Parts: sequence; C-alpha cells; structure tokens
Amino acid sequence: MTTQATPNPRTDLPPAPTRPRRTRLHRGRSWVGLAMTAPAFVLVAVILGWPMLQAFYYSMTQWDGITATWVGPSAYTHEFHDPAFRRVLQNNALLLLAIPLALVIPLGIAFLLDTHVFGWRIFRSAYFLPTAISWVVIGMVAERFFAAHGQLNSMLSAVGLGFLSTDFLSGERTALLAVALTFAWSMIGTNMIIFLTGMATLDPHLAEAARVDGAGGWQTFRRVTVPQLKRFIQFALMMTLISAFTALFSLIFVMTSGGPGYGTTTLEFFVYQTAFAVGQFGTGAMLGVILFVIMATVGIVQIVLLRTKE
Amino acid sequence: MSGVLPTLDDLPGPVTEPRKIRRPFAGSALFIAMIVIGVVMLYPFYFMIDTSLRSESSFLNGGGHSLDSWRALDSTLPWGQQLINSTIVCLLSIGIILVCSSMAGFAFAKLRYPGASGVFVAIIAAILIPVQSIVIPAYVDIAHWHLLTSYTGAVLMYSAIGTPFATFLMTVYYRSLPDEVLEAGVIDGLSYPMIFLRIALPMSVPALATIFVLQFIQIWDDLLIGLLFLQNTSERTITVGLGALAAGRTTDIPVLMAGSLVSALPAIVVFLIFQRFLVNGLTAGIGR
Repeated sequence: MTTQATPNPRTDLPPAPTRPRRTRLHRGRSWVGLAMTAPAFVLVAVILGWPMLQAFYYSMTQWDGITATWVGPSAYTHEFHDPAFRRVLQNNALLLLAIPLALVIPLGIAFLLDTHVFGWRIFRSAYFLPTAISWVVIGMVAERFFAAHGQLNSMLSAVGLGFLSTDFLSGERTALLAVALTFAWSMIGTNMIIFLTGMATLDPHLAEAARVDGAGGWQTFRRVTVPQLKRFIQFALMMTLISAFTALFSLIFVMTSGGPGYGTTTLEFFVYQTAFAVGQFGTGAMLGVILFVIMATVGIVQIVLLRTKE
Repeated sequence: MSGVLPTLDDLPGPVTEPRKIRRPFAGSALFIAMIVIGVVMLYPFYFMIDTSLRSESSFLNGGGHSLDSWRALDSTLPWGQQLINSTIVCLLSIGIILVCSSMAGFAFAKLRYPGASGVFVAIIAAILIPVQSIVIPAYVDIAHWHLLTSYTGAVLMYSAIGTPFATFLMTVYYRSLPDEVLEAGVIDGLSYPMIFLRIALPMSVPALATIFVLQFIQIWDDLLIGLLFLQNTSERTITVGLGALAAGRTTDIPVLMAGSLVSALPAIVVFLIFQRFLVNGLTAGIGR
C-alpha cells in the first residue's frame, strides 16, 4: 500500500496502554455479548445445523418424509454400486473440466481491461452485468442458444462448420457440454472482478521494470502479473469449484431437467430428483451428506493451503 | 505528499501510469476485442429483448416485431403479484440477516465472552454446508411446523443461509473499528446495546450495503428454496414462477422472454446502484 508517505493519525500516535479500564468495560459485557450473538446462533443452529445432523441420521434410513426405517451404513455401500449414482459423479467430474475455461478467460479479460483501454469502466460493468440475472433466465436463453434451430447451429453453418451442428441438448454428452459452457460463461463476470481487484493491488513498478528489461506483454503477464495474483487465482478457483458443485441446480432444472437420461444430472440435482421427484427422502439425504463431505473436504483443503502459505 | 523527500510517486513520467498501449493499431485492436467480448457477455439481453418483441409465429418462422408477447404476458405469468412476493421475501430475509449478523458481528468483535470464539466458528462453519445437503430434513421440519404455506418458511431458510457469511463480514468490519470509539461511549454513560445502535451501526453502513446487495441478488434469483418452501402459487416469487413455466416446456418462448426481462430488471437496477459494494462483498473472503 502507498500509505507510508502520508502520516496516519491513528497509527502514528504512541500506542495506547493496553486495556486501561478493563474492569469497567468488562462489567456486563459478557452477558450483552452472549445475548447479541444468540439470534444468529439460534437461527443457524435450528435451520442449518440441526437439519445437517438429521441428514446424517436419515441418510442411513429408508424414509418417505413421514416414517423412517433404519437401514444402517450399508445404505452407502449400496448407493456406491448404483450405476446412476456413478454416472452422476462422472458428470460432476466432467463439469470440472470447464473450470480452467472459467478462470483463464476472465483472467485474460481482466488483464486487457487493466490497460485502461478507452471506455474500460463501461466494459467492466457490461461484462459484470450477467452476474445480476438468475440462472433461471440464463438457462432459458441457453436452452434456445443450443437448440436444434438455435443460434449456435446457425453460427456454425454460417462459418462453414455446419457439419458440427447438432441438437446439442438431445445428446447426453453434448448436453453436458452445453451446460458446462453456459456455466463457464456465467462465471466470467465474477472471476473477472476478483482478478481486477487483485491487479489493482499489484505493484505497478514490477511490471514496468520487466518492460524496461525488455519483456513483452505476454511475458510480463505470465512471469510478473500471474505469480503476484496467486492468492486471487486460488480464491477464484475455490468460488468456481463451489459453484460447479452447488450452484447449478436452477440452470439444470430449466435447461435440461437433468436429461437426456442422466446426461446432465449432477449430484446436487440428483438430491432434488431423488427426494422430490422419486420420493426417496432417505437416499436424497444420503446424497446430500455425500455432497457435504465433498464440499467440506474442498473447504478444509483451502484453509490448510492458505495457512501453509502464510 | 508533503514529505521532505520526494517519493517515487512524486516523480513525473510513466512510472506510475497504468499500462498503456502506445501503438495506435494495438489500441484499436484492443478496443475491438473489448466490443466483441461485450457482445458475448450481453448477448442474453439482446436475445431476450429481441425475442420478447416478436409473436410466437414470428419467432419460429421469421417475421417482424410486435408487442403481442408483452400483451400476452399478463395471462401467462401473474408478474405483478410475483414481483411483490419477491420483494417481500427479499426484504424480510435481508432484514433478519442484517439484524442477526450486525449484532453478532459487533459482539464477536467487541464484546467477547468466554466461549465466544467457539460460537463464532460454529456459525462460520455453516458456510461450508451446501443448501442441498440440508434441504430435505429442513423441508420436512418446516412442513411439520406448517410454515410451507406462508412466506415464513422460505424467509427462515433464506435468512439462515445468508447469516453465516454476513456474520463473517460484519465481524471483520467491526474488528477494524478502534476500541476507543467503544470506550468513549462507555464514558458517556451509554449501555453496550446503545453503543452498538448509536455509534457502531451507523459506522457500518458500507458493510450493511454489501450484505444487502449480495443477498438481494442471491434471494431474488433463487429457485430451489422458493420452489420447495413457497407452496402457495399465490406466494411464489417471480423467479420461481418463471422456473415453473420454463420447466413446463409448452409455453410460448417470446412470452417467457418478456417475463424474464421483467424478473431481471429489479436485480439489474439493484446491481447497478450497489455495484461497488457487490465488488467488496465478492472479494471479502480473500482477506488482506
């Protein structure tokens, strides 16, 4: 930061004696503090914490929402042998292939915007704007875009690639590709903003020094900008990963309903389908627990990575 | 910059200039690239507007623009009522989130009690819980409490889902307030709740605005919770109304696009007004 030159009245004062009137401040402080944190705690505990515990219990039962019969941990081993479940996990894994796209494109765009090209503020807002619209709306537009007579196919034939055109949403793999591309597209705005924020914190002298030393734009980007952005890239990766696993319900609901077959059913969509379309609440709860375990692992890995970097 | 010695920042010349493309050709190539990216990013808006201005037959077979689909919107989607529902659900949920998270954040930052850090971790850890992991038991619980046929069930869900991250943001924000502010309040004879209400809360308006815009877009655009927890069609939000129509597959696409525009507009307006705060919220998790 560049605040060193300007005196900061707060930090330049001699340090205050630690805890001057501790007893006076302390009286009643604990009770007020406890009372003020209680609403948030109770809300989260009752609406999120308790159902999470219930999910662990019901995941080992056969449950229709009213009566539950205990099955035990074998419910899990049984599920792992279900071909539909394996297919769903495979879909999730394939969707992850869109993540590099969802990171590299916004990184490039952020780098270009950072040159402060004419009108860059307007471009920034325009690229960020899709963040405001719902997955439902994006899904509806994407469904027409990838349809048999949609814009993608007309564009393909217009540039002489007509042999590639197909009814994307009616093939299992092509439908998943369409979902993945839509997902990558919709992450561009958010990730671009994360990278731009990161670039604003960079030391401009480093890039300038590289340029003086004869590095070209690409080299400066790769060897100076990207390494300095490591923390921001890691953060964007986590956000994108979390979205890939947990934010695509509405998109899939509107765009493909998980089909054709299980072609675009991801774990989070499978939870909904199993419970609310098929009525197997116990299995649905189990799928939710599996999703939780995956996401908690991802989260803990992130925390460990951040800790070890310090 | 009134220091005795000049710093690097005081030097003239390109040192602190943002990277500029100096060759005019490269500059215009870059500008054209920006326009192309803009077309890709704004394409859905163009598609929605263009399609909504056609009748179904002109959309399918080609033909001119008309307002037919906008006239037909009323009979397909009760958008007026649904906009009101979305607004009610959003404002109630965000209200609860702001109250809970600002109080808790203030206490975690300034009024720590024995065990406070454990409670803090318990709340923050809930960020890791995906909605889909708890939605089935929560649905059964809330059905059991007979709250599926009012706004209450959905509002409770949205509030609980939004509170952990909001609490995190508020705690970080209040931690940056100097303790002297608090002590001045104590010396003036204010109680802790009063210090919070009169001194700390007004100082945290930017953080509250960040939470507002993050949650507004989140809740306004949500489908899953609304679909399950708003069982009365008359209480459906606009996003749920649209989602239900879209999944039906029989509806006239231009009318759906008109409905999409109506649903997107409020979120876009909030987005444009609060864009700066949204940026803060998105990058708040990185830590400095």
